[in-house]
Amino acid sequence: MACVLPALLYLAAAVFLIGMAWRTRTWLRTPVPLKIALTPAPQSVGGVAVRLAGELFGFRSLLKADPFLWIPAWLFHVSLVCLFFGHLGGLVIPKLTEGVLGLSEDQFEHVAQVGGSVIGLLAMLFLLVLLLRRLALERPRWISTFSDYFALVLLLLIVITGNQMRFTSHFDLLQSRRFVAGWLGLHPVAAPHELWFTAHILLISTLLIYIPFSKLVHAGGATLLSPTLNQMNDPRIRRHINPWDPTPAAKRPTPP
Amino acid sequence: MKIPSLNPGACAGVRAHRAKKELLTPLGLPAELPADWREKALHKFEELLGRSRSLALYLDICVRCGGCADKCPFFMGTGDPNNMPVARADLLRKVYRRYFTTAGKLAGRLAAAEELTEKTLNEWYTYFYQCSECRRCAVFCPFGVDTAELTMAAREIMASIGVAPKYVTEVVKKAHEIGNNLGIPDAAWRDSCQFLEEELKEETGVDIKIPVNQEGADVLLVPPSADLFANTDTMMGYAKYFHAAGISWTTSTYASEAGNFGLFLNYEHLQKVNRRLVDAARQLCVKRLVIGECGHAWRAAQAFMDTLNGPLDFLQSPCPQHICELAARSIREGRLKLNKSANDGITVTYHDPCNLARAGGLTEEPREILRAVVSDFREMAADTIREKTYCCGAGGGLLTDELMEVRMKGAKPRAEAFRATGAGYLVTPCAVCKAQFPVVFEHYGIKAQVVGVMDLLGKAIVI
Repeated sequence: MACVLPALLYLAAAVFLIGMAWRTRTWLRTPVPLKIALTPAPQSVGGVAVRLAGELFGFRSLLKADPFLWIPAWLFHVSLVCLFFGHLGGLVIPKLTEGVLGLSEDQFEHVAQVGGSVIGLLAMLFLLVLLLRRLALERPRWISTFSDYFALVLLLLIVITGNQMRFTSHFDLLQSRRFVAGWLGLHPVAAPHELWFTAHILLISTLLIYIPFSKLVHAGGATLLSPTLNQMNDPRIRRHINPWDPTPAAKRPTPP
Repeated sequence: MKIPSLNPGACAGVRAHRAKKELLTPLGLPAELPADWREKALHKFEELLGRSRSLALYLDICVRCGGCADKCPFFMGTGDPNNMPVARADLLRKVYRRYFTTAGKLAGRLAAAEELTEKTLNEWYTYFYQCSECRRCAVFCPFGVDTAELTMAAREIMASIGVAPKYVTEVVKKAHEIGNNLGIPDAAWRDSCQFLEEELKEETGVDIKIPVNQEGADVLLVPPSADLFANTDTMMGYAKYFHAAGISWTTSTYASEAGNFGLFLNYEHLQKVNRRLVDAARQLCVKRLVIGECGHAWRAAQAFMDTLNGPLDFLQSPCPQHICELAARSIREGRLKLNKSANDGITVTYHDPCNLARAGGLTEEPREILRAVVSDFREMAADTIREKTYCCGAGGGLLTDELMEVRMKGAKPRAEAFRATGAGYLVTPCAVCKAQFPVVFEHYGIKAQVVGVMDLLGKAIVI
């Protein structure tokens, strides 16, 4: 039993990495036959970078679309990033993080305790808001499918199990660190015998496997690869070639 | 405007007349639905998925956040949930998931995947011809998902099994055979130009030419053919402008249409219709190719022409140009003598055609011209202009009588924004908009004129 959890996690990580690489590769290899930049579009690479950064870090278009959706959506994604780095700093590279932040072990533990608690609770709150919005508002309810709810509930459960560990006193930080270090170093050690920890890992494995096959695949660079956003409005300056052009110049019939 | 609550099936019965054999065969499309239509359609779908990243990506990444849901004028006007861009896209997406994704193949309905059935095909034909490919939804999508790309793909799939509207195929056929959408033959084209020359002479007392097939002219102007018959003031506006600016120009009877209904059918015909413009420019040895007042023509020309039928290096760069770009530059450089007071007593507002604003980057030049020739120019509300403009309700191949209900409802957001300005003139450089708005205004009890930008410039030019 002890080795089941790490094994499952390896499998999930493999599915996630290979799946995402495969999906992103498919998008990258699919040609973009025409210029379809949404104007007003930038005319320089720098301009495109600014536009993409605005979308990626600020969800600019979503803000234009619906500020009341933007608030929970943007804050949820921000808290997700915080949680990722929190786990990285607290579990994977604690010594390095302490050094970089210039904190003692006790101070760091304190920061992690407060920060992790706050972000964990906020992430839960934003997810609940997004879920309730889907259930309560007419248009979101109409367009929602099983997978929309599944993704939200799965994320919610991950955050709830995480919070449970944070708020139950017998959570063993050191053992968790050993588990993570062993797993990453390909020398897996037994997982802490703790219900919430086991549930947390099981749910994360499910999420990792689910992402490449669902709408959550948008994490694989959807914004950056979107032709309407990443193209310049320059069809009259630079030639845009359609790689599968059925009638390139050489094949065109002579006009009457 | 107030967003309506959902009214499922509100427009389920509004459908374009289907093209029959005599229109489909000449365009190389199957004369009737083949027995193995599902396989053929899925085969086409697969081909398109490999050809267009926008299609593959936009089918994959939509998170159904609903940001677009209340942005489509056709949803705002009809309340039909299938006219929410996300729901419209899902009509295609559910079939994509069923046949082309692992999740859909394994989990079926749990993964929102559905078989391609005759019912689905009917939904496609209904709702992908209730989308005008105006791209307003894309402006509000966090991933830039462009429903127009999905609508075009769905229409291309349907065309490949002989499912296409009579209106669109008829127009494409005329464009191939005669050179313009109205089917005006050479002789009639020349007659009309001559007639308008006489009108111009009567009005100004000066000989202002509308040249036809004149080799070696500086500019080949390709207008929408409607400008020669329905919107003659626009045509005369071009003529006055070229005359006053001292630019030699010509029209062509071979490429007598700026519009490109191939855009509303499939890639093959988009490319073929577009080729006439390039061939005509080469044959007439002009230096510049200029597009007249037509919205989607500008998209097909500005964004696609070089890719479709380039290189255009035999023409002066940038190529092509829009008539409003030329006129605005002439005004800026002080080359035109203008008398603003010729347009006094009217209140004017500007309607951005979708394809100019969202696909062609042309929002300021028409306004520059209007400010120079009109004293009372006012804008509609900020969230209804420029890249946020509403479709007139008839773009994308919807300008046909049997779609009237959807056309009128789809025009509601624009009509309300226009009414709020109190303007008596709606100015727009697009032949489809010009054909649609008079009907819309009558429908909504609005008393107003619909004119082109060049109409008002023409009035103000001192010859």
